[in-house]
Amino acid sequence: MAKPKIAFFDFAGCEGDQLQIANLEERLLDILGHVEVVSFREVATGHSDDYDVAFVEGSITRPEDEIRLKEIRKNAKVLVALGACAAIGGINCLKNFLAENVYREEVYGGQARWFSTYAARPLKSVVKVDAEIPGCPIDPTEFARITKELLLGRSPWIPDFPVCVECKQAGNVCRYEMGRMCLGIITRAGCKAACVSQGAHCWGCRGLVPGANLDAARIVMDRPGTSRKAIQDLLRFFLGDTGAAL
Amino acid sequence: MTTYTVYKEQLPGLFEKWSESYALYVPAKLREGFYDLVPWKRDLEIAWDFDVAYNSPKRFLFPPREALITFNRKTCEAEPVFEAPPQILFGVHPYDVKAINQLDQLLETGSPDQNYVRRRAATVVMGYEPLTVSPTAFWASVGAASAAHGYDLYWTKIGPAAFTVEVGSARGEELLSMCGPLVPSTAGDKEGARRAKARVLFKARHNGLRYNWEETPRLLSKSWDSPLWRRYSQMCLACGSCNLVCPTCYCFDIREEADDQLEEGVRYREWDGCMLESFAKVAGNHNFRPKAQDRYRHRYFRKGKYIYDKIGELGCVGCGRCVRACTAGIANPLKVFNELWEETAHEH
Ligand code: SF4
Ligand code: SF4
Ligand code: SF4
Ligand code: SF4
Repeated sequence: MAKPKIAFFDFAGCEGDQLQIANLEERLLDILGHVEVVSFREVATGHSDDYDVAFVEGSITRPEDEIRLKEIRKNAKVLVALGACAAIGGINCLKNFLAENVYREEVYGGQARWFSTYAARPLKSVVKVDAEIPGCPIDPTEFARITKELLLGRSPWIPDFPVCVECKQAGNVCRYEMGRMCLGIITRAGCKAACVSQGAHCWGCRGLVPGANLDAARIVMDRPGTSRKAIQDLLRFFLGDTGAAL
Repeated sequence: MTTYTVYKEQLPGLFEKWSESYALYVPAKLREGFYDLVPWKRDLEIAWDFDVAYNSPKRFLFPPREALITFNRKTCEAEPVFEAPPQILFGVHPYDVKAINQLDQLLETGSPDQNYVRRRAATVVMGYEPLTVSPTAFWASVGAASAAHGYDLYWTKIGPAAFTVEVGSARGEELLSMCGPLVPSTAGDKEGARRAKARVLFKARHNGLRYNWEETPRLLSKSWDSPLWRRYSQMCLACGSCNLVCPTCYCFDIREEADDQLEEGVRYREWDGCMLESFAKVAGNHNFRPKAQDRYRHRYFRKGKYIYDKIGELGCVGCGRCVRACTAGIANPLKVFNELWEETAHEH
């Protein structure tokens, strides 16, 4: 069987996810040994439109992005959203809460009218996405696992439960018991509760868990010592494209 | 069984000796108000007055993630994986000893869980009489204030620098005698241990079931249609924290991952919990407990009836960990059972 051809693409984002993949180093050689990479800017130059799997990073922020993304969708058998920006819109969606003239001026200054831009959105708002590798940045071990599952013809699995599960597995003291906020209660697991284990709290970078109880979460977060503003800011940080952000 | 009196000054020597051949875990303070069993090291301050270990001891016997088999995709061969490091859990409160006994019963009978059985056999349990009671605990009212067995040694602090140590197994006695001859406890020391127990039981009275715990299965049988399940479960985040922190919950899910050459692979298990939305999802995406209310009720039936029907004890030892872990404030067997008792008051 011919090796499947894979390609990487990016839209509005920092290419941090492709960098995470490059960081797999020796493991990358083994995994990419099963495929033919036709386009990967972080590692090699060159490009081709002949590919089976497209890993797409970044969110859609301009009307002309849609045309390019639909083209990629047409060429690819499998389209994988790579990272928070592609999978859930991510921090790019922060601008959706500002008036257009405000963010245009902020980003492009005097040249604002030369650039086209519209509300930031995840890939799935424009095309069908076959698999998501969420996170900001992605967890390289999850990328490796999902790629292998695709290669083996299995349907790729990502956790469908909240970060709290992995946080309890790690044995962390819950942030709420320390009088702090945390979005682990509504965020999809898969990062091994990385931020909590490192002493911070969950920001929601992996997107909402299916069936997230947002009403309950708002009540849980609204405790003495936290302001409504702080709750809103946290919910908008990564989850701007979801029903969580009001 | 024999009881010996051991002095604090003997401990560093014993710990030193034990840690030569065992991973030794002892209670220590994590931060103000939070304690856990942590790896012992010289000069570590032992938290003798810890109220509850933040993480339950099940993680030592049934780790959050554990390999079960390795397999080869080409030859179709599989090998079991067994890991059972020798370990000593020093400072396990009686309710947690009871929880371990339950896991023993549930996982070792029928078709024994080989991974569990091996880890359990390699684990020395040193029970320890609590000095304080966690604000959310209610073990004294669910029959879990004492454990009749399940420990190798049982330590009771009878003074600032002295302990009585009840022997529960030959292995325990051998470990205790590693640093020289042992002194059997005097009648006075044993009386000291009895008084220590009475003191902590007195402290534990603040929280408790309003009825005899043995009534719980009957109470639940009458409460299947109670409005309580819906009322509380509306707040449920389906986060599974209540399951995962529970010393008696033992559900797991099984997954596989191939190596990067796609030649070999490992099948492992990971903690799962009946409060997670997808827990009861089966082939064809059918979910036989799709509603939060069904899952919430199931957990209390499990704790208060199903386990009882199997082994004659409640599946809840009253450690209070789930009460503390539930950010939504709804995981609380004590409150739930007491409220159901009130609801059905006209019937008893
Ligand atoms: S710290 Fe966050 S992720 Fe961890 S248990 Fe608490 S709410 Fe969940
Ligand atoms: S803990 Fe939350 S913010 Fe941090 S990596 Fe995980 S999902 Fe992202
Ligand atoms: S149900 Fe809650 S209180 Fe009871 S043993 Fe489990 S964690 Fe402890
Ligand atoms: S800890 Fe609370 S919110 Fe989470 S699953 Fe249990 S009952 Fe529901």
